[in-house]
Amino acid sequence: MENVQQFTAVKPIIEFRGVSKTYQTGTHALEDVNIKINNGEFVFVVGSSGAGKSTFMKLIMREEKANTGKIVVNGFDLTSMRRKDVPMLRRTMGIVFQDFRLIPNMTVFDNVAFAMHVVGADGRDIRKEVSKALAKVGLGHKARALPNQLSGGEQQRVGLARALVNSPDLIIADEPTGNVDPNMSYEIVSLLTEINKRGTTILMVTHDHNLVRDFHHRVIMLDSGKIIADNVGGDI
Amino acid sequence: MKLSSIRYLTKEGVRNIWANRLMSLASIGVLVACMVIMGLAVLISENVNVAIGNLEEQNVVMVYMKDYNWALYGKEDTEDTSSTTSDTTSATPEETKKEEAEKADENGIKPSDYIIHDEKEAKALCAEIQKLDNIASVVYVSSEEGLESVKESMLEGQEEYFSFLDDENPMSCAAKVTMKDMARFDETIKQIKKLSGVERIVSQSDLASTINAIKQGVGVAGFWIIAILMIISLVIVSNTIRVTMYNRKLEISIMKAVGATDAFVRIPFIVEGMIIGLISAVISEVLLYFCYRVATETIIGTLGTTDIVKYGDMALILFALFAGIGIIAGVLGSAIMIGKYLKREGSEFAAI
Repeated sequence: MENVQQFTAVKPIIEFRGVSKTYQTGTHALEDVNIKINNGEFVFVVGSSGAGKSTFMKLIMREEKANTGKIVVNGFDLTSMRRKDVPMLRRTMGIVFQDFRLIPNMTVFDNVAFAMHVVGADGRDIRKEVSKALAKVGLGHKARALPNQLSGGEQQRVGLARALVNSPDLIIADEPTGNVDPNMSYEIVSLLTEINKRGTTILMVTHDHNLVRDFHHRVIMLDSGKIIADNVGGDI
Repeated sequence: MKLSSIRYLTKEGVRNIWANRLMSLASIGVLVACMVIMGLAVLISENVNVAIGNLEEQNVVMVYMKDYNWALYGKEDTEDTSSTTSDTTSATPEETKKEEAEKADENGIKPSDYIIHDEKEAKALCAEIQKLDNIASVVYVSSEEGLESVKESMLEGQEEYFSFLDDENPMSCAAKVTMKDMARFDETIKQIKKLSGVERIVSQSDLASTINAIKQGVGVAGFWIIAILMIISLVIVSNTIRVTMYNRKLEISIMKAVGATDAFVRIPFIVEGMIIGLISAVISEVLLYFCYRVATETIIGTLGTTDIVKYGDMALILFALFAGIGIIAGVLGSAIMIGKYLKREGSEFAAI
């Protein structure tokens, strides 16, 4: 793959160098962002609405392209990446959405298996890995349930199992606790912390300051498209 | 792409059809209507072609030859006098001598006065006509046979009145010619006229041009009917796929988020389009068979004609046409519609 450039020096999993993003509407979403997130870190991304959190995540997932600067994720240089190579980048990450994004007419098992079908896994691996992922999030017994038969927290755990099932190096969680009750929020972040302890890098956007305070992880704070704080240890 | 993925995607395509069964049913209905009309257009044009073929067979061209009878009875009527004069003037003294040496018979006709001297030479001319590329058949008609057929076409009284012709047959021998392609009628007539020994050609050029006009009309109408219905089919399938895609935008956004390639997203929709096309083709084939059977039975019953194209002869061609249209409409319709979805990312799907 010609667009893939390996950065051998420090090996951060995510690196932004002088990244700016302005939308066609004229909105300056990010301005001269420089950041490194190393392999195995757990990072909270916080900031008020319009601070640039979503753009920051979209640039990492290559849903958007930066206007200037350089972005490297998992060894992929996103600034020069061709559209056809984007799926390969996304296979190295698991994404957890605020609105769960589960397919309503598929069972819990099929929703998780879906992510494996997409990458062309075979039937036996799918059965094995999906069961393992569901067990990790504590939903092994609900494999045959439909999403609407689950609580919000359970649905988000299915979303987490789907993000985990392909054993990604990086999990991107865009406000995963936004639609669940506070108790379940703690449970989900605890789960993510468990996953992180096994070596997976976690990048989580949140508005919940209590979570940030209670789980002592690195915090990146954005405001008006700029990084205004980058604290290891959960101090905002 | 792995076999397991292809299996999965095909299953997904079938699942889509079932999940959107009302929309699929509506598309199949409209596609069947288009295909049946298309099939009828093909069958009608095929029947018109058969009828034209029969007409063409009847459109015989008679090529009369410069034989003894022509020299005796018809030469003065048809021969250009000026050319006769010029022939005489241009003749060399040797030729004139030779001509004088020839003996004229009791009717004053010399062998050099005509070109076709016997049946062998007449058949040789027939063979020459047959060699022309647009000739379907050539049948030699002797002067006796010619007279016979003229008499056959006469009423009873007329036949008796003309009985003196038996002793003085005025008919020249001829070649009964049919052509392969009536569109090249004039060109072929010119080619025949150029052959030595051909006196005149009797044909129904009006019929030939009418046949050509009908043939062209049927061809053009058939082309447009099929072209328009193909576009309609394409639009119908595209629309179904568009609705399916809209219903499945959540799935597409997830697929893209977890790293699905464009082909992976596209294939279930293409499979769906192809299956809708194929189901429509099968239903159309069966429906058309019954429609055609009823129509032909009625035509045979009322007109008594049996010169009708059999459905069995056309079944395979029609199925190939239907399946081809169905598959093309399915594949193209899906490909056109999914293009805009593939370019969208994440939250953009929610805005659709």
